Amino acid sequence: MRIDNNRFIERSIIGALGFIQQSLFAEEYASRAGFLQAREIRIKVVSFIVSLIAVMVTKSLALLCGIYVFVLFLALVSSLDILFFLKRTWLFIPFFALCVAVPAIFSFVTPGDTLAGFKLFSIPLGITRQGVFSAGIFFMRVLTSVSLSVLLVLTSRHTALLGVLRSFRVPRIFVLTIAMCHRYIYLLIDTLLHTHRAVKSRAGSALSLEKGQRMVTWNIAALWQRSYSLHYQVFAAMVSRGYTGDVHSIEESRVTGKDVLWLAFVVFFLVECLWQTR
Amino acid sequence: MADTLIELKQVYYSYLGKIPALQGIDFTVTAGSKIAIMGANGTGKSTLLMMLDALIFPDRGTMRAFGYAVDEEQANESVFSLLFRSSVGFVFQNPDVQLFCPTVKEDIAFGPLHLGCASGDVRQRVADLAELLRIRHLLDRMPHQLSIGEKKKVAIASVLAIRPQILLLDEPTAGLDPQTTRDIIDILLEQHEQGKTIITATHDTHIVEEIADTVHIFSTDKKIVRSAPVGEVLADSVFLQEHNLIHIHRHRHKDIIHSHPHAHGTEHHQ
Repeated sequence: MRIDNNRFIERSIIGALGFIQQSLFAEEYASRAGFLQAREIRIKVVSFIVSLIAVMVTKSLALLCGIYVFVLFLALVSSLDILFFLKRTWLFIPFFALCVAVPAIFSFVTPGDTLAGFKLFSIPLGITRQGVFSAGIFFMRVLTSVSLSVLLVLTSRHTALLGVLRSFRVPRIFVLTIAMCHRYIYLLIDTLLHTHRAVKSRAGSALSLEKGQRMVTWNIAALWQRSYSLHYQVFAAMVSRGYTGDVHSIEESRVTGKDVLWLAFVVFFLVECLWQTR
Repeated sequence: MADTLIELKQVYYSYLGKIPALQGIDFTVTAGSKIAIMGANGTGKSTLLMMLDALIFPDRGTMRAFGYAVDEEQANESVFSLLFRSSVGFVFQNPDVQLFCPTVKEDIAFGPLHLGCASGDVRQRVADLAELLRIRHLLDRMPHQLSIGEKKKVAIASVLAIRPQILLLDEPTAGLDPQTTRDIIDILLEQHEQGKTIITATHDTHIVEEIADTVHIFSTDKKIVRSAPVGEVLADSVFLQEHNLIHIHRHRHKDIIHSHPHAHGTEHHQ
């Protein structure tokens, strides 16, 4: 039986492992010496929120492109692998945003000054200047916002980010849920991998698509039970060592002069964006 | 009479309200004692440890710890919770569930940090334990990357960092190589010499004599069927065999194959 096209289980497992590896890499980047890694975490989060507001209020395409180039520059001075960063930021959301934005460039969605005209199945279509501008603004806003968010996550330890959430008075149950998900996902994926290997060792790799799907269905129920037990054990281990929902980190957090300068720069930039759009 | 730290009286516990896990348990933990909880797989050892760590609570019967009656509400009360979590440390059987921080250093620091220790003190504790357990080279590693023996040592360090009065250990040497097993036993003995109370769940008769003075044996019906000094229980091979703690061992001496109970005392033949 040919199975080459039916290895969906393995593909899923490899995808899950890729996720783990990326998460591990993220912690590695957060540990590197770089500009954003050196910023005090609360200042950093506030500066990113301010930057996101600036991106939202900016109506200038050139300014948005400028902000995006600045984000790439920040990634570089924060010792990130720029290709890795681009892959993380261009996948999915900006790509789909581009797909969503494309119809807006045509005259039947955004009427205006025609830049170029052509016929599709004898139907005249035009690309308008206003359409290109709207689509460009939309796409650049999504791309820059996603890049800023990814940059914040990549350059910060997840424990520090959770600590910030608590210091911003985010409800404890919300922080606790995120903390649990992060810790438990490694173990769940590990369990998934072992289950797959166990199935493969007994059933071999010669599984038809139909049989493979049936096996996945069986495993979903078993995995649910196991994941519940795993979740309970991880939580018990955390409670046993004094966890009550607040997150503390051994890394000391001190605001320096450079942090204040950085925040002042970002706030000044926001004011400038607001001034431009008045 | 020695100080009683934790006391269970006629405790019953069941999972989902229908699968019995503990039946009529009387258990007393006194300061400075060395206790082993033995029994075959699935007899209730881990459940008892979870209860001694106030992670689960009796369906029936009473539990007292440090002079307080303990139930779920009491365990969540902030003052008691701080007292209890600072006094009782639990090393889980599976180190993977216990090591959940991005680095070994943060995992060791997790307990004392969350129990309100100053960060300078926590750093000192991490450094001291890394030296004691010879894991300094692992401090910046991710726990997922470690071997099972290393994970176990880090899990023990993460609990010792709390400096608990009572140390609960669930199968601390299961699946470890002889040297790591030896290291862990030495750590436990050292902790006991410093006055800590050590409670170990195991079915490994190799280590019991060293890590315990008293042993409680669980039967398959989730009851403690015998509580006695270790030497007395280990000498009773019929009893141990009945409770699945030793087995008949067949092996070859030159051309002769013979069998005897697989015990670990002084009774082995030449």
